[in-house]
Amino acid sequence: MKKRVSILLALTMLATMFVGCADKKSEESTGGSSGGTSSTSSNDDGGSKTIALCTEDLETEFWVAAHEAIVDTLEEQGIKVIETNCQGDANKQLEQVKDVITQDVDGIIVIPKDGDTAVAVTKEANNADIPIVIFNRPPTSDEGANITVVCDNATVAEACVDYMVEEAEKKFDKTGEKLTPLIMVGDLGDPNAIARKEGFYTAIEKKPEIFNEAIEVPTEWDAATALANLQSAVQATPDVDFIFTSSDFLFPTIQSVLEPLGKWVKVGEEGHVIMGGLDGDATAGELIDEGMIEGTGVQDVYNEADLAISGLLDAIEAGETQPDEIREDPGFALTQGNLKEKRMDMWGNVIREQ
Amino acid sequence: MSALKSETHRQKKSAKQIIQGVFLSEYFILIMSLIYFVCVIPLAPRIISKSNLLNLLSNLWPLLVIAIGQTFVLLLGGIDLSQVSIIGVTSVIGTALMSSSFDPAIFEGTPLWGWLINENGGPLAGSAAAVPVSICVMLIIGTLIGLFNGFFVAKFKMPPFMVTLVTQMFLLSFAIYLTQSRNIMGLPESFSAFGRKSLGFIPYAAIFVVVIALAAHFILAKMVLGKWIYATGENEVASIVSGVPTKKVTLFCYAMSGFCAAAGSAIYSARLGMGRPTLGEDIMMDIVGAAIIGGTSLSGGKGKVIWTLFGVFFFTLLFNTLNLFNLSYFTINIVKGLVILAAAFLDVIRTKLMTRMSIVNGAGV
Repeated sequence: MKKRVSILLALTMLATMFVGCADKKSEESTGGSSGGTSSTSSNDDGGSKTIALCTEDLETEFWVAAHEAIVDTLEEQGIKVIETNCQGDANKQLEQVKDVITQDVDGIIVIPKDGDTAVAVTKEANNADIPIVIFNRPPTSDEGANITVVCDNATVAEACVDYMVEEAEKKFDKTGEKLTPLIMVGDLGDPNAIARKEGFYTAIEKKPEIFNEAIEVPTEWDAATALANLQSAVQATPDVDFIFTSSDFLFPTIQSVLEPLGKWVKVGEEGHVIMGGLDGDATAGELIDEGMIEGTGVQDVYNEADLAISGLLDAIEAGETQPDEIREDPGFALTQGNLKEKRMDMWGNVIREQ
Repeated sequence: MSALKSETHRQKKSAKQIIQGVFLSEYFILIMSLIYFVCVIPLAPRIISKSNLLNLLSNLWPLLVIAIGQTFVLLLGGIDLSQVSIIGVTSVIGTALMSSSFDPAIFEGTPLWGWLINENGGPLAGSAAAVPVSICVMLIIGTLIGLFNGFFVAKFKMPPFMVTLVTQMFLLSFAIYLTQSRNIMGLPESFSAFGRKSLGFIPYAAIFVVVIALAAHFILAKMVLGKWIYATGENEVASIVSGVPTKKVTLFCYAMSGFCAAAGSAIYSARLGMGRPTLGEDIMMDIVGAAIIGGTSLSGGKGKVIWTLFGVFFFTLLFNTLNLFNLSYFTINIVKGLVILAAAFLDVIRTKLMTRMSIVNGAGV
């Protein structure tokens, strides 16, 4: 008897599912994968737009600021925002993007787990004919159509390390001893991490005579991994005196390793390690103000948020379902050398002042 | 008057019996899922849209096959924490075999370069047999890792938690080492189709998982091996005394767990269109949670493939609806955690109730 009741219930559920499927008239129109330019469907409340923001994680100040800038700007414009967070799981991010597509959103902004995931989610959005913006982490291939908003990471990293190299040269001239550079490398599945690494090497290779071979410390964009690997690297090579971190969020990690060794000291003091980073967060701003680090490469998070939103809204207005363009944030390096002029151009300092 | 009282009492008793029957029924979770599904429709009507139902099902298959593997280990009273890393390792190796090209600038520094992969892809690149052979290799590797776990648990009586935790850590690092944290792209279209497309209206992934699920059900419900698994999980000492080859049974269950994890890895990799060393890293709670919600006991000896199906269905449905409600990710995780806790708690209550009822019935009261 129980089995019969259960089978009956299961059949009822399946019937409900099929009724649901049959009832969804609008679904058929989004089933194709052609690169058409038909406009996206409007929402039930008529006219108003719904944008999905699919984030990867909100662990660092940069992502928190980006998230806040995007959500606030959209909501100010009366746009409904659907948010998801995959907590660093690429597979979950794909599921979430598929979920928001079923909610008939007008556009999607994704902060992808990495460049490869950006390709996968772009494919899903293209199949559903929904315009998509890939924010800050560019796709690893040009497959599919999306608006990619990205900072010129290689150039910004190079600009920051150029300044560090200038300082290193002064130290070399004074002591005659070669410096040992170390780079905290990000997740190499992330094109930004690769570009920052390239920028670092381009800069230090301009003065090969003043440097020993560079040490690479993998971080996977994870503070715990970075801490363990940096501790090992510094134990193996204690004379490290030039550190570039591919992201500012790792400065506290660097501090926790250098401080017990007496190397966490201000610029110009005995034992100071020349340091720089990239992002331009509030922590880096504070460390530059205190004279603890030489500088940082700055991604303009507010500019990037504007580029993403305006690109997406323009595409929606124009009825473009598969816009394909790259919008670049030029970025810059904030250093001890240009601190007075450029200080308030850095988003991290703007947050601090607020 | 007294007859009326007695009738009312009988009616009350029968309503109580019905509720008790539903609560103790092995279909309890299915019934709960259906009630939940129907209740959610007015709140989130999109749940019954075609695309959402297809999403729901496409999320169900890989989790189901992995949870079936976990069910075998849970039936022994063990746990397999290494499943998540088996997913990563098999994803990397399987996709490396079939990928059509590797960028030397990215992969030259990996330990696979030169002997297994080069700029022209993996050894099976371009071959018609690339996809089936690569999937078979993934399944074999998963099974071998499972056998490794089972060997240490069965032979040396090491705690399953410890053995599989160590394997998990080792395999995760090994997978990252193999590709130096890079993802493997350039997979054949037919492999992506395996994760995304259908044969008629039935997805390939569904066919793959249903075949494994039916085989698993047959083993547990119809074969002597299934009875041995239940007996070993219920009381290992008594099983040994009764002549059950408990060591072989343990080896089999862990091998099955590894095999199923690799099967799930094939589906996840195909869906994403890439091999990832960290694929599945965060789904341990989903796997164990789904099995427990279905009614599989953490203490062993109790569980069925069909229960795991119900658990996975409920879990996937719950996650899907929480997403549709546009809740924040921490709210979703809090709800997921509470549901798993409630399921474990209900399991304890149901077991106690059933034990009490069998004592009462046994006493002829």
